[in-house]
Amino acid sequence: MQPTHTRLDHFDGARTTDNAPLLEVKDVKTHFFTDEGIVKAVDGVNLSLKRGQTLCVVGESGCGKSVTARSILRIVPPPGKIVSGEIIFRQRNGESIDLVGMNPKGREIRNIRGGEISMIFQEPMSSLSPVHTIGSQIMEAILLHLPVSKQEARKRAISMLDLVGIPRPSEQLEAYSFELSGGMRQRAMIAIALACEPQLLIADEPTTALDVTTQANILDLIRELQQDSGMSVLFITHDLGVVAEIADEVVVMYLGRDVESGEVDAIFHDPKHPYTRALLQSIPRYDSRENKRLYSIKGTVPHPFDRPTGCPFHPRCDDFIAGQCNNIDPHRHSVSQSHSVRCLLYAPAETHNP
Amino acid sequence: MTIHTEIGQSADGKPPLLEVRNLHMQFPIRRGIFRRTVGFVNAVNDVSFTIRPGETLSLVGESGCGKTTTGRCIVRVYKPTAGQILYAVEEQESIDLAKLDNQALRPFRREIRMIFQDPFSSLNPRLPILQIVGESLKVNRIASGSELEDRVASLLKRVGLRPEYIRRYPHAFSGGERQRIGIARALALNPRLIVADEAVSALDVSVQAQILNLLQDLQEELNLTYLFIAHDLSVVEHISHRVAVMYVGKIVELANTEQLFANPLHPYTEALLSAVPKPDPRLRNKGSRIRLEGEVADPSNPPSGCYFHPRCPYAQDRCQHEEPAVRDMGNDHWVACHFAEELDLRGFESIGAATDV
Repeated sequence: MQPTHTRLDHFDGARTTDNAPLLEVKDVKTHFFTDEGIVKAVDGVNLSLKRGQTLCVVGESGCGKSVTARSILRIVPPPGKIVSGEIIFRQRNGESIDLVGMNPKGREIRNIRGGEISMIFQEPMSSLSPVHTIGSQIMEAILLHLPVSKQEARKRAISMLDLVGIPRPSEQLEAYSFELSGGMRQRAMIAIALACEPQLLIADEPTTALDVTTQANILDLIRELQQDSGMSVLFITHDLGVVAEIADEVVVMYLGRDVESGEVDAIFHDPKHPYTRALLQSIPRYDSRENKRLYSIKGTVPHPFDRPTGCPFHPRCDDFIAGQCNNIDPHRHSVSQSHSVRCLLYAPAETHNP
Repeated sequence: MTIHTEIGQSADGKPPLLEVRNLHMQFPIRRGIFRRTVGFVNAVNDVSFTIRPGETLSLVGESGCGKTTTGRCIVRVYKPTAGQILYAVEEQESIDLAKLDNQALRPFRREIRMIFQDPFSSLNPRLPILQIVGESLKVNRIASGSELEDRVASLLKRVGLRPEYIRRYPHAFSGGERQRIGIARALALNPRLIVADEAVSALDVSVQAQILNLLQDLQEELNLTYLFIAHDLSVVEHISHRVAVMYVGKIVELANTEQLFANPLHPYTEALLSAVPKPDPRLRNKGSRIRLEGEVADPSNPPSGCYFHPRCPYAQDRCQHEEPAVRDMGNDHWVACHFAEELDLRGFESIGAATDV
């Protein structure tokens, strides 16, 4: 499906072109203070996203990838709180700001949400309003962030629907979310998210609830829109196939930590962390038919209340070094310029002895 | 269409464990305060296939294609509108499950069991594992008291759970462990056929691998037969012996797994295979992908002729008017397409060949 590319020219002049990362997340910790204890959902995550690039955050359920995304937009639900770290975001006007320092209900962050950073979610049905038309939901976003009249907003909403490949856009403007199919709903969500030409799109498992054929179309759409607008995409998923398809850079997360980060080719063809390697081995592959058993990681993801000491992966790790891995919490070690891994196997020799 | 009755019959003459013949399942669409029936959704529309003893047959297709409804008809959650479900009984003629009432079905409900998709909603949170797994043993008066406990404990051991967990409640278990409990429950009555409806779809990859391995081990140990309903083609490729592809309530292709993935004969199968993301960034943009236009047809108002023709890149005039019958293409490969001989469709490998890894 080839959407007609109506360029939206509102912010074109303001796009800066230097190489500084658009978004830098530095050692962010987001903890949930529940009655039973503290859940360290995100416990020291680092990531850096360049302009026009796609960064995939991949991990299993409970690894903190969604909470990371919500921390960036400052929509962590209570009792969750960002307890430390920095989230540096370069605004359109070139100024860098720390999102952690902002009041999550303040005007500043509200200008960024939907305007500079947008988010799409896994379940389009539950994130779209069932009692407002698709059109009014897009127009709401436009009127909130851009100085335009209602007529202009309507026109822009129609061109957005056209852009994301929804057929008969001026009619579909009046449609309610339940009248659309899953794929069309996700397109409508993307239209709302992109209505104000954000610099950064955060996509939280946007294709997980869709069929493969629809998923392929939505991934194509996101890629096309990105090429066109030069926005950056932070893509959260558990599906390594999707990562291979769309990512420029990858961050692998386990128990609230970034355990490995690097370029997509390095992650798939030269994975370093035992967890990354194990994950890649456990996916069924076309050529794996001869040896019929799949590799499986022993044990299960530990309960958030009893985090293992030392490296959080050590109880399940095949390369576990007794006395080391269960005591030392590994730092990020660079294995190449763009590839870093949190594992003692790659630590310089002296850190092996505590 | 008489040829339907033979679909997928085994070549070696071994009688199938289950034979589905011309199965139809319609759901009425009701409107207004009098709930008048204004139409029907043909969820399953003239489906025929056989399941051979000891094999894994997968049903694949997009959501709404009728794969789950087919599975539920077989376990008789639904009473099919028409058609036969012939179940082989030892040293007897096979029995048509589609016609039986609840009372007569009871002995077969022990032999055909189901595993569900969502390990969170398919276990009663108020019952301990002992009761969840042991209930069918108790209801069928097979075991009670300490014997029941022993049997449940050994079932738990068999699926890789510690027998001490017998008094715990489902909330104490992770997703993968709950799916093991669901499997133990299905195994309790020594079934012959297990219908696994998206049994691994809700699980993380590392847990999914554990459960797939467990299902394969159990099949070997207990000589189980699986009807595996799934939408994830890489999982299907891994676990099944044969695959049936469904589209809007019909089977469009049925073949051995290797054949279907290497050499699909239906354009819909080709499109499905090409849409699967390959877990290798070097294959990105390699080969040509097929992107399907439009939406899955509405099963209450399907298109004329071949149901797939509005989305088919190879559609011709004939496809609009004439519905293709399921044909035997030889080599145990069945397809419903007028042009199966002429089309040169690409398989999984040539769409994104994994040659350099």
